[in-house]
Amino acid sequence: MSAELFSLFYQFADVFAFLILSAAGLAIVFGMMGVINMAHGEFIMCGAYVTVGLVNLGVPLAVAQILAALTAGFIGILVEFLVVRRFYKRPLDSLLATWGLSLIVTQSMLLIVGSAVRGIGTPEGSFAIGGYTFSTYRLVLFGCAVAVLAGLYTIFMKTRFGVIARATMQNAAMAKALGARTGRIYAISFGIGTGLAGLCGALYAPTMTLIPTMGATFVVESFVTVVIGGANVLLGTAPAAVFLAMIRMALNASYGQIIGQIGMLVAVILIIRVLPEGLSSVLVRRGR
Amino acid sequence: MALVEVKGVSKRFGGLTAVSGVDLAVEAGEVHCLIGPNGAGKSTLFKLIVGLYPPTEGSIWFDTVDITAERPYARVQRGMSIKMQAPSVFKELPVRQNIQTALQERLSGAARIAEEDRLLTLLNLGPDSEKLAGALSHGQQQWLEIGMALALKPQLLLLDEPTAGMSPEETFRTGELIKSFNAEGMTVLVVEHDMAFVRQVAQRVTVLHLGKIFARGNLESILQDEKVAEIYLGKTHAH
Amino acid sequence: MFKLLEGPQTLGRGKIFWSCFLTVLAGAPAYPLFADSYDVGNFAYFLIWIFMALGLCLMWGYGGMLSFGQTLFFGIAGYGYGVLAINMGGGTATIAALALSVVLAMIAAGILGYFMIWGGINGIFFGIVTLSATLVLAFFLGQTAGPEWHIGPARLNGFNGMKGMDPLTVGDFYIEGSALYYVMIALIVIVYLALRMLVNSGIGNVIVATRENPQRAEMLGYDVRKYQLLTFVIGSGLAGLSGALYTSWGQFITPSSIGLPAAAMPIVWVAFSGRSDLTATLVGSFLLLFGFQTITVYSQQAALVLMGALLLATVMLAPQGFVLGIGKFAADWWSGRRRRGAGAVMMEAGRLRSEES
Repeated sequence: MSAELFSLFYQFADVFAFLILSAAGLAIVFGMMGVINMAHGEFIMCGAYVTVGLVNLGVPLAVAQILAALTAGFIGILVEFLVVRRFYKRPLDSLLATWGLSLIVTQSMLLIVGSAVRGIGTPEGSFAIGGYTFSTYRLVLFGCAVAVLAGLYTIFMKTRFGVIARATMQNAAMAKALGARTGRIYAISFGIGTGLAGLCGALYAPTMTLIPTMGATFVVESFVTVVIGGANVLLGTAPAAVFLAMIRMALNASYGQIIGQIGMLVAVILIIRVLPEGLSSVLVRRGR
Repeated sequence: MALVEVKGVSKRFGGLTAVSGVDLAVEAGEVHCLIGPNGAGKSTLFKLIVGLYPPTEGSIWFDTVDITAERPYARVQRGMSIKMQAPSVFKELPVRQNIQTALQERLSGAARIAEEDRLLTLLNLGPDSEKLAGALSHGQQQWLEIGMALALKPQLLLLDEPTAGMSPEETFRTGELIKSFNAEGMTVLVVEHDMAFVRQVAQRVTVLHLGKIFARGNLESILQDEKVAEIYLGKTHAH
Repeated sequence: MFKLLEGPQTLGRGKIFWSCFLTVLAGAPAYPLFADSYDVGNFAYFLIWIFMALGLCLMWGYGGMLSFGQTLFFGIAGYGYGVLAINMGGGTATIAALALSVVLAMIAAGILGYFMIWGGINGIFFGIVTLSATLVLAFFLGQTAGPEWHIGPARLNGFNGMKGMDPLTVGDFYIEGSALYYVMIALIVIVYLALRMLVNSGIGNVIVATRENPQRAEMLGYDVRKYQLLTFVIGSGLAGLSGALYTSWGQFITPSSIGLPAAAMPIVWVAFSGRSDLTATLVGSFLLLFGFQTITVYSQQAALVLMGALLLATVMLAPQGFVLGIGKFAADWWSGRRRRGAGAVMMEAGRLRSEES
């Protein structure tokens, strides 16, 4: 019995981790700046490629993953400086600009690197409970997802940067008047967002085939999680991921991956009809 | 006969009660002013009548029909017409097209163009009719919006601080315009705090204070009411 | 009724514009007489996509609804045409299959649009919900390689694509080559003029008014949601028309014409051309399709990189669109040269641009 329960938890944890890791970066950028980064998937791809490249050079996996996330974060800050910065007053245009960037990056990668790169294989290790076998790495991913949430909570609730960032989120003009350097805060937040995207790619790199278009695999999940979660990463994204993971898990188990994805989308479309401002609006209202 | 009736309406935002147990009747054919100090709940009450907020309690009736659950467009189709506080026009569209969009359901062809011209002249916007509405001055945008509200030829005209940002002359002209439409049978409800304007147009006045009805009556009795003067007129707006 | 062909919502008016229009219209039927049939077929192929671009222009430029779902409805009607044409048998039934598949796309748009618009979704979220739906359809169709995925005798066939449907046929006559070219020209003229009339009509007034200020439009007694839904259904239906014509043209459709990067293409065409005007979209999309096709012969990736770069450049340098900007500048220059000196023209052009931004 407990083996079955654990199996259920394992399936839930698997989907939940995927949703959180793929959405967290997108949600931070959206929550902070109202910008949807359409190149989000390409930052994920970047994280995956850097990881695989470093591992093939002999760097240990965990170190390669951290370096990959940092690389994506650094490139993100660069992109913010060169492109996104100009469009804070025109969120739709920033979406289009990052989409253009996404096209350029994906197709250039196809031109330069070609369609597939040798993968590195999922780290070995599994354990059995009852009659079931589980992959240890999948649990590591769940642990990382929880750690990301905890890390974001700490950064945004406990640090000086977090206080200023939240103030900027509430009212950028006021924060600026009070001396916050909003430009730098935006740049750092964008970097954190793309760094998390890179981390997502780095963590999933061992489990999938590397192709330049792999970002597309993640974007649906990250979009719907952000749509349901609304602008608040901590109060929105996490509950949205729990909710969507339950739907997805139920459908995946009985009908397979693609029906799980369709079901998740249908759920999202039904929910926006009922809760136009997303889950976080309900949670925030309850919280008052 | 009451054209609009607000029955026991309250509106709470979280812990804040903006409007509490308000009863209000606007009689057909009158110019009714809703006044009160800042934060009295005037604008909230206005938005409840218009349908931008659902009330927490109570009901709103128009022409003996319960419209509490109706969206704003349905209320407009019943014969209300609304001018919001801040000028709200179609900024990227020419002035004439703004008026046209308001008129086109009621008139078409040459009759519509004639009415467009009449309204544009009435509002002193004739020479600017091909300009984009966003290029007009603040006062002109207020006028344009009043014009759009009038274009619907409503039974009831609802105005939220129509003269905000207008010069005294413009304010006076607006008042005369409202009186002339009232003379043709239009009922008007105005939220206003410019007392000179209220004196010019009001027949009956309701005073709102801290979300509740504080006093009501005809213009003279309200102007002479000392308690009203105390909360409102005497302190902030004695003219 | 023809008065509605001109109005405040469309640029391009007066004698000069319509003479150009008529010249192009008169020249178009002559093209197959002196071009070789391969080029005519290619030309017809570019024209297929124009409907999708015009549909997006209506929704985004006029209605203010940025739909990323053009290829979703393209795919629904494209696959719909295939399934229907195969199931109903070839011949004249293909015409019915074309019409029904477009209706199918419009019904799908009606359902998705109802939930989004009545749910108050707008702006960025409208884009990402439509894009999510698009990608999910592409993933779903990609997984249908097995023989169990069929509708009647029509196999969906996963990433290998669906094939075996007849092209548009009347009796025994296949509408291909220059016949298809003439059909396309006729359809484009009809759709273009009909859209001009729509946007300059009373309905068009409400559509633009809703883009500008939805609350004010509602306060004039319009149920703006219905107008938005109408706009979305028409715009998506036009994408459906493109999809059905595409399948009929090549007797073939794959999920890759739905997913990324295909979904970005209509956005690039319309953004680059100038979303706020139908004529600019028509001309600009055609030019881009032509350029894209020319480069694709050498390298599809390079063509897509260029499209991405164009999108980025448009947003950074000319957010209202390059073709529209050039068109306005030329029109001002022309009328200005007649009325005033050249200096005033430049000022006028500058003023126009500053009003836009």
